[in-house]
Amino acid sequence: MGMTIGVDHVEGDPPVAVVTLDGELDASNYEGVIDAVRQAYAGGARGLVLDMAGVSFMASSGLFALHSAVRIMRGDTPPDPEAGWGALHEMSVDHEGEGGKVRIAAAQDAIARVLDRTGMTKLFGMSDSRDDAVAAIQGG
Amino acid sequence: MVVNVAQRPKGRRWLTVSSDADRLAEVRAFVRTAVADFGGSKRASDDLVQAVDEATCNVMLHGYAGKPGEIEIEAALRDRNIEIRILDRAPSFDPTVGPDAGTTSPPRPTRPGGMGMGIHLLRTMVDAVHHSARSDGGNELTLVRSIEDQAQED
Repeated sequence: MGMTIGVDHVEGDPPVAVVTLDGELDASNYEGVIDAVRQAYAGGARGLVLDMAGVSFMASSGLFALHSAVRIMRGDTPPDPEAGWGALHEMSVDHEGEGGKVRIAAAQDAIARVLDRTGMTKLFGMSDSRDDAVAAIQGG
Repeated sequence: MVVNVAQRPKGRRWLTVSSDADRLAEVRAFVRTAVADFGGSKRASDDLVQAVDEATCNVMLHGYAGKPGEIEIEAALRDRNIEIRILDRAPSFDPTVGPDAGTTSPPRPTRPGGMGMGIHLLRTMVDAVHHSARSDGGNELTLVRSIEDQAQED
């Protein structure tokens, strides 16, 4: 099972890109997510919603893609895979409690469990739906 | 594309894939089917799918490191535990050693170029992980998890 990626743009302050993922996010396709976020940022988006309602599986490479998404939306370069957990941990400390302009919407239980077990929930706001996520970014 | 999936006597099943990340979806499907046939819970299936994907991906990306190779995955039910063995011919690497994993203290990469997150996940998703170097070269990694809803470590 592959992964399909859709991108919608929501006008407002800030402009938000909603990246909808559908399928299984693994080492064969995670770079597509990074590319989609990079293009959204280049197109002017300054808020990001990752709609993961359709994601039934996420490998650690998917976590790397999500980590990259946060970095890209901050205007930073994506992390280096060679840096491993060190960079991720450093970033989680940097962003803890920030709330941020990147939110994950509608994550299934298995996905939420992976985020929780790796401490990645610190990096993202979590919303029940994409509409809630967009409202949280633009109203926050 | 031919997928070598077969069932041996006594409920033992195996799958052989080439070292190619595009084959990971087949690996996950194999694990899901095996766990379901063994009567495992949805939670056991999710955890084993995650752990086997991470272990197999690690062999592909860091073991074979882009070179051709095969990975054999074998699943069996012993008592109330599902046991999955992952065999390769890559340079020896033991993911069971290294700093203990924890969400408050993420591990360092376990080898140069390793992101380490996959190792952390596979260790937290199963009840036991055993590694041995194969006498004729390669690795044998065994993952054990209860078929019940909760892993024994939870």
